[in-house]
Formats: sequence, structure tokens, C-alpha cells
Amino acid sequence: MQLLRKISLSGSLLLALLLITTMWVGVTAASASPAKANTFPAVREVSASHSSNSNVELLHRLIRSGRLAPTVHVLNSLPPTTIVQFPLVPSSIKNAFPQATGLVTIVRGDRNNAFSDTVTVDVQNMPPNITFTIFYIEFASKPFGNVEYVADLTTRGDGSGETIFQNIAFVAFAMDARNPGTSQDGQEGTTSGINLEHMGMWFSQLQDAQKVLNDDTLNGTIFDGGNPPLHAGPQAMTDGQTAPVF
Amino acid sequence: MFKDKVFQVRRDGGCWEAGWGRLRRPVGSFATQNKGYMISILGIMLLALLLSACSGPFSSQTPTPTSTTTQNSGFPTFPTTALALRTPAFGSSGQVAPTVKVLASADPSLIVQFPLVPASIKTLFPDATGLVTVVQGNPQTNDFDTLIVDVQKMPPNVKFTVFLTELSAKPFGHAEYVGDVITRADGSGESIFHLITFVAFAADARNSNVTSADQSGDASGIQLEHVGMWFDGVTFARKVLNSPNIPGTPFDGGGGALHAGPQAMTDGQKLSVI
Repeated sequence: MQLLRKISLSGSLLLALLLITTMWVGVTAASASPAKANTFPAVREVSASHSSNSNVELLHRLIRSGRLAPTVHVLNSLPPTTIVQFPLVPSSIKNAFPQATGLVTIVRGDRNNAFSDTVTVDVQNMPPNITFTIFYIEFASKPFGNVEYVADLTTRGDGSGETIFQNIAFVAFAMDARNPGTSQDGQEGTTSGINLEHMGMWFSQLQDAQKVLNDDTLNGTIFDGGNPPLHAGPQAMTDGQTAPVF
Repeated sequence: MFKDKVFQVRRDGGCWEAGWGRLRRPVGSFATQNKGYMISILGIMLLALLLSACSGPFSSQTPTPTSTTTQNSGFPTFPTTALALRTPAFGSSGQVAPTVKVLASADPSLIVQFPLVPASIKTLFPDATGLVTVVQGNPQTNDFDTLIVDVQKMPPNVKFTVFLTELSAKPFGHAEYVGDVITRADGSGESIFHLITFVAFAADARNSNVTSADQSGDASGIQLEHVGMWFDGVTFARKVLNSPNIPGTPFDGGGGALHAGPQAMTDGQKLSVI
């Protein structure tokens, strides 16, 4: 019993010591670093000046003038970042999955210094356990025009899914260098090649699409890489806009 | 009272006894003393919980075992051997460039590496080197590939664009802009991209009957199986290469058609590298 009493007292003292030390370290660190103590006001100052992000203002003007789709949200991010969000809506899966939704978020750190853009695609209420391909495209709907295959997204059992990839998005373009041509970009002006300013998702396998959509007459499409040709299915999700979304 | 008595006998010292007596006041109440012990025990339990919470996550961060063996107690053991490596197939003979090295890696990953060599910068930067590493975690299920471009002894503080192209040399054919590399002051640089690389292709969906040969066989579109780097701005290229008449090229996105410079680095192969 005496031993128990000793252990009890020692344990309590140790705990008290630990708590006092933790509090002391916290107080010392706070008082010894006035710069850190000013962190919060500094952040507030920067936040207050976020309306001066010139690129955000430019994109808002483009939306107002119809040169960027009305579905695009330009987030009030701090300079020099640019963050846009826009929805994807069901196309071929509309009847079978009317509640399917998609959200695309594109983040660029600094236009002049970023190595690439970060693209996040989130979907909900989609056909479950299916792999979809993601393409940057010239047009949101048929005939789609020039395309660039960027990533896949495989849905979970509940029809949700997410994929995050890093490549050039805001100034993506297609070209044959033998005859690159030019096109007009809302943000950039005249650019080389053909701008790819829309996004879509396709069934990576025709058989999946035929099964999910209960339609054996569906034809294969080019919207997946690798062998054999035309093994992909129809477009599942689209941004559905005439004006560019990015 | 009994506990207090024992304490007094063992300590056998008036000062200590008096001191502890004050701490345990009121000394005469057994119930209150008991409460004190309970608080002490509670303190120990809290301390034990704190310690176990601190040590918990570290002990669970173990590498994936090569083969999970279970002891009688039911706890998994640490791996004692490395994963077995194998060299996966990548294309067929005569289809892939001889500069491509397919690394022996653990199943199911595929990792290939190949060099980039100087093109327009060869005379001024003959020692410039580039290494491209393409990683596929699981070719059957990955959402995209990881493309890593490392360069050394390049023109310093210059931005280069990275493209996947149909051909490694002029006229380059179809091209896809994937990212940038900005060199440091010592001419080194690195960029990492996440995108479809091994089965990248260019296509105009209006002409869906166009096909070409991929490592996996015939595939839709025109395969983009080469990697090159270009000066992001022709102005920089003219300055770096000391040649004011270099024409602009389309190898950069954004404002101003043909504002990019010449190809700086190339895989230099006729056969595909990716």
C-alpha cells in the first residue's frame, strides 16, 4: 500500500510538472517572438487587400462580357494566385443518373512562375466503380474538335470520385507544329495553336457504357489512350458551355 | 489512520512527518485521504493515456511488409527482406528507342528513364544534360503518370516549356504542352507533372478513324511518344544564344503567337521513348 501511495504521488507530481513545463514553454515562445505575435494582424492585412488581384478582376470582366462561361466562379484568391471553379453536368448519363454532379477546381500559383496548374475533379452520384477518362477539348459537345487526354477518374461504390493532376490547363492548346495556326484566348489574346478551353469525361470502356446505360447500340469513341482504337464509350459529363470555362 | 501510522513508522523523522502531514491535511479523515489517492491514481491514468497517445502513431508507421507474417499474439511483424524486383515489358523490340531504360521495379509499377540531349544550345552548352523519369504506379489502375524532368548545366535562370511531341526533331508534328522548367542560377532545374504520358495522343475528334501504333498496339489518334524542351520566349533564346535572328515558334501557350524560342533539349530518337 505504501508503494502504491508513493507511485500515486510521484505520478501526480510528474503530471503536474509536465503541464507546467508545457504552459511555460508556450508562454515563453509567445513572449520571445513579437514577430510571431503579429502574425494574425498581418494575415488580416493581406486578406483585406485581396480585391487587388488583377487577374481575378480580368476574369470577372471576361465573364461579364461573355468571353468566359457564366458557370465559372473566379474565387477571390490572393495575388498572384488564380483559382476558378465550374460544374460538370451529365450528358449521356443524364437519364440514368440525373443527379450526377461534377466540380472542377483549377489552381495556378503564379502565371509567370508556375510550372503547371493543379486540376481537381470531384464527382458525385455517378455510375459506381467505373473508370472515366478526362479530356481538355475544343468544344464542350459534339463534335468536340481537338482534344487532349489528361487523366482518369475511377468512381467508388457510392458513385463519388476525385482525381488531382498537374499539367498545363489555363493555356492548354493543340497543334500540329507543321501548321500551328492561331486562335483567340479571352485572357491571353492571340495564341499559337487551337485553344482547349473545355473539359469532359468519357467512359473509358465502351462495354461499361453499354452495360451502365443499357444500350448495346452505342458506338466506340476515341476518348481513351492505348489499344485498340475506338474502345472508349460516350461522353458522360461535360461543362456544357459555349464560352470557355478556363 | 493506519496508513498514516505506517508512514510515520517508516519515515521516522519529525520534520518529514510533519511536512507530509500538512500535505495530507486533514490527516485524521480516512475518506478524504482515500479521495486524495483516487485523484493521484487518476493523474497517473491521465499521464499514461497521454504517453500512449504520443507513442501510438509512431509505432504504427511501419513499412508495408513484403509478406505479412503473424505471430501467435496476432501482431504483424516488420518485413525483413526487400520486395522482389522484375523488369516489366515496355513495347516490343524495334519499337522503343535504345536510350530508354526500363528499371527493374517492384510489381506492379513501371518506371522508365531516358536522357535529353542539347539541341539548339549544343554549341554554347555542350554539357547540358537532361533526365526524364516516367512512373506508373499500377498500369491497370493509375489515374495518370508522373513525369519528372531533371536538367543540369543548362542556360541559367531561363524558363523552358516541356512538350510531348509526335517527332523528336523538326517538324515535330503534333504536340502537347505539359509544363515548364525554370533553371536555377547553376543551370539545374526540376519539374514534376502528373498527367497521361505513356498513352498520350493528339486527335481531332471529327476524324475518329485516324489511328497509329502505340506500345500496346494500334490506338486512336496520333501517338505523342517524344519529349522536348523549348525556350519559353524567343527573346531569351536570342540573348542566350547570341543570335538576334532566331524566329519564334509555337512551343508555348498564352499571349502572342509564335513567341516561344527554338528547341533546347530533345530525346533525339526516331523510335519512341514513351
